[in-house]
Amino acid sequence: MNASAISLPHGHDGHSADHHGGHGGGHGDGHGHHGPVLQYQPGLPLTRGKLIMWLFLSTEIMFFAALLGSYVVLRFGAPVWPKPHHVHLSEPIGAFNTFVLICSSVTIVLALEAARVNRAGLAKLWMLLTLLLGILFLGVKGYEYQAKFSHGIYPQKPRSQIYEKPDLYYGSAVRARLGEPAIIDKLKELDDTPADQLTAEQVAARGRLQQIRKMVTSPEQQAFDLAVVADQVMPLPTAGPGGSHDGGHGGDGGQGGHGGHTSGLNDIFPWLRLPAVIPGGNMWASTYFLLTGFHAVHVLVGLIVFTILLLYKLDSKQAGKIENAGLYWHFVDLVWIFLFPLLYLF
Amino acid sequence: MSDSDSHAIHSHGPITRPGDLPTSEDLDHAGHGSGHDGHDNHAGHGGIGKYLLVFVALCGLTTMSFLTYSPYWPWRNEPHVGWAFMMAVSCTKALLVVLFFMHVFWEANWKYVLTIPAAMMAIFLALMLVPDIGMRNRMVSQERALHMARASDVRLMEQAAESQVLAEPAH
Repeated sequence: MNASAISLPHGHDGHSADHHGGHGGGHGDGHGHHGPVLQYQPGLPLTRGKLIMWLFLSTEIMFFAALLGSYVVLRFGAPVWPKPHHVHLSEPIGAFNTFVLICSSVTIVLALEAARVNRAGLAKLWMLLTLLLGILFLGVKGYEYQAKFSHGIYPQKPRSQIYEKPDLYYGSAVRARLGEPAIIDKLKELDDTPADQLTAEQVAARGRLQQIRKMVTSPEQQAFDLAVVADQVMPLPTAGPGGSHDGGHGGDGGQGGHGGHTSGLNDIFPWLRLPAVIPGGNMWASTYFLLTGFHAVHVLVGLIVFTILLLYKLDSKQAGKIENAGLYWHFVDLVWIFLFPLLYLF
Repeated sequence: MSDSDSHAIHSHGPITRPGDLPTSEDLDHAGHGSGHDGHDNHAGHGGIGKYLLVFVALCGLTTMSFLTYSPYWPWRNEPHVGWAFMMAVSCTKALLVVLFFMHVFWEANWKYVLTIPAAMMAIFLALMLVPDIGMRNRMVSQERALHMARASDVRLMEQAAESQVLAEPAH
C-alpha cells in the first residue's frame, strides 16, 4: 500500500533533514524521474484537508464564543431574565437532544474506525445512523420551536406578542386586540355558545375572559388589575422539577402551587392571541433563536455533508473525508454541550 | 506493490512530491511522538472500547448536569452553585469530546498552535463585551428605568396568580 509506505519522521525536523540530505536526488534519478522534482514540505504534519478543517474550526470557536459570550453577558447584565419554564422550555427535551447528539458523535467516530479498517459497509451503516440522529435532533428542535411559536414567542415577524411588564402599554395592547373586528365577532360567538357545547375548562375560561374584558376597559382600573390580566392571558408557570410545560396543555407540575389555573386564555382559545407578559422575554427570545438557530444551521450543514459522503464507498480511501466531517460534527456537538446548560438549566 | 515498497525505503522525512501528500493514516502515526515506531497497529490509540467508555462518561456527565434540575439537588436556593457545577461538567464534557472524539489527545504539537490562540481570542471577545453590554443597566435614564422589566414584575404576576381577584367561574 502506497499510503502506508511513506514513513514520516517523529516530529524532528533536523532528523528528517539529515535523512533527506543523505539520500539526495540520486534516488530520484534511479526511479526514472525527469529532471529536478519539485518538492513540497507541509508546514504541519497533517493532511491539507484536515489542516483546513482545523483552521475553519478555530474560526468557528471564535464565532460561537462571540455568540455564547454575548448571551452570557446580556443575560447577566439584564435586570430580569425569564426562567426556563416561563418561556416554555422543557429541560427533559433538551437533555434528550443532548443525548441524541452525543450518540451521533459516537456513531461518526465508529464510522471512521470502520472505514479505516476498510469495512465500507459497516462504515456506511454508522454514517447512516449519524445522519438519522442528526435528523432526529432537528426534528426535536422543530417541535420545541413550535411550542414557542404557539405561545407567541417569535424570532422576528410577525411581531412578538411579548410585553416586558404589565403596564399601561400592555393594557392598551390588550384593548387594541380585543377591539379588532374579527376578535369582536369571535367573542360574540363565544358568548352566545351554550355552555353544554363547551368543555368545563372552556366555560370557566370564558367566565374569566369576560371579567378581564371588563377590567381592561374599566375606568376604575387598578395597576394590579393589569398583572391579573397578564396572568390570565399567559401565566408564568412556577413549576419546579417534574413540571412539564412544554406544550402548555400538559398537566401541572404539581409543586408550583399555581393559583387555580395552569394554562392561559391564549392556550384555551388559540384564536385569541392576546399580547402576553414575560419579563425579559424579548431579549431571551432574541438570544435563544439566534443561538439555537445558528446551531441548527450547523447541524443542517453536517447532515448535507453526511448525505454526500453516503454516496461514496466508505473504505479506507475515504477515511480522511470521514475524519474531517467527524471533526466538524464533534464541534457541533461541542457547541450544544455548552448551549444546553446555558439555555435550559441556568 | 514492489514499486511502492521501494518508495517506502527511499522516501524519508516529510518531503514528498506534490500530490504525494501523506494520508491521514500516516499522519496519525506521526502524531504518536517518538515513543512509537510508526508501524504499530493503528488501533493503538482510538480503540472502540475507549470510545464507548468516553460515551458512557458523557452520558453520566449529562445526567449530572441534569441533576441540578431534579428535586434531589441540594442547592436549590443558591443558583450560583448550580451554575458553577454545570460549567465544570460542560467543560469536562467538552474536553472529553475534543481529546478523544476529535483525536486531539493523540495529535502532534500543532494542536496548540490552532487551539490556544482561538481559545484566547474567544475569551477576550467575551470579556470585551462586559463593560458596554454586561454593565449596560448600571446607569440608565429614568425613562428607560420606568419601562424596563424588573424582578418585581415577575413577583407582581405571581401575586396576581395567587390572588382571587377574579370571582371563580362566573355563572
